[in-house]
Amino acid sequence: MDVSQVALFLFSTLVFPGFLFIFILSLFTQYLVRKISARYQKRMGPSYIGPYGVLQPFMDFWKLLRVKEVVRSRYSMQRVAELTLLIGIACITGAIVLLPIGVLNIRGPLDYLVFFYMASVMPILMIVLASLSMPGPYTSLGVSRLLSILTISEPVYFTGLFIPCFLATYRDPLVLSVSMTSHRVMDLWLNPVAALILLLSLIALVISLQSKAMYPPFNIPEAEQEIIAGFETEFSGPLLALASLLHDMDLTVSILTVVYIVLGGPAPFQHLTLGGILMVILKYLVLVLVVATIKNIFGRYRLEQALMQLLKYGGIPVLISVILSLAWIYL
Amino acid sequence: MIIEVVMDPSITALIILAGSGLTLLIAATLYYLLKSRSVRTTELYLSGEGENVVSNLSPGVGSLYYGFMKRFAKNLYKVLTESVHTGSLHDWFNFIASWLGLLVLIAILVLILMLTGW
Repeated sequence: MDVSQVALFLFSTLVFPGFLFIFILSLFTQYLVRKISARYQKRMGPSYIGPYGVLQPFMDFWKLLRVKEVVRSRYSMQRVAELTLLIGIACITGAIVLLPIGVLNIRGPLDYLVFFYMASVMPILMIVLASLSMPGPYTSLGVSRLLSILTISEPVYFTGLFIPCFLATYRDPLVLSVSMTSHRVMDLWLNPVAALILLLSLIALVISLQSKAMYPPFNIPEAEQEIIAGFETEFSGPLLALASLLHDMDLTVSILTVVYIVLGGPAPFQHLTLGGILMVILKYLVLVLVVATIKNIFGRYRLEQALMQLLKYGGIPVLISVILSLAWIYL
Repeated sequence: MIIEVVMDPSITALIILAGSGLTLLIAATLYYLLKSRSVRTTELYLSGEGENVVSNLSPGVGSLYYGFMKRFAKNLYKVLTESVHTGSLHDWFNFIASWLGLLVLIAILVLILMLTGW
């Protein structure tokens, strides 16, 4: 990399599509989910701060960040919790440069594994570590529930994204490259067998997105009636602001990942053209609408119900998808 | 204009880690600059009481009342147990009626005094 490429890399990491872009997009996604939920429940939703209340999530974040009172117990390790949450945010924004969103397009063989580890495993691991740094009876229960759900949702999410990557790049020198997958996956949608495989993966991914975001019906780790707020019960003030931001960033990047890896990003238009940008926005909004709709039409499952439904509607489609993929390639 | 850079997996991992480290540095700096400097720490509380209070045995209001009465107001407690709370409704009624009768007499007396211009 020469100097201009390093400068571009810094811009991509810190501004677009990195930290600043993801920060703004995650707050906007939170606004969208809240507004859609309000519509479903015949409420107004965020309305006062900014045009149509669009700045409300930012104001919530700012207020939490400026809170002077911190509630903590004898065993709280606030610095550790802050550090782990910041590491989670950094990992997400560092990994986003592998998605072909901006001007700089980094690609290489097997970069899907790096991307998945940084953008999906690290954030949730950091949320768990931050929760355990602020211990409490409800926190322990929430974390144990979260980890139980992750045992199914993370493998489903990994495999659901792995299948398009594999199908699109297994003959290419850049095997399992996120960027190459994004460029080629639309061709796969035109093949009926591959389209069926991708559709099954997409269904499994939407289900696992719901559980990754801990939205109903998979919100048992933060069940308010039983365990107050579960894994984030002991977070308050600036720490709660960081935890909410990391949660929103995780959801945002997960949706963006599905948009680019499974739905082809700007396809059928070219990257960074007006049509391509509009297509990405459209796909993103549709996925947010689907997630918010599922959030509002389901009640909360008990833990064993949640695990069973995840296995049934996430695990089985993705397993069929794997078998079909292998059959399609080798038969 | 799109700039494409093809990299080895290990280099990709290092570049992404470097980017994450830089973001961590910037995010941590912003966080500690923007969050409020004057922090007031509150201990964890349950049911409106601090952890140090809740973790100890705490008496109920009723126990406190009777404890006080037994220890510091023995005569009054004796009246309560022997004259009022005997288990007989007659004793309770006698006690209450005597006090109420006295109150009625005082009220009538005050009323007469007020009407006569005192």
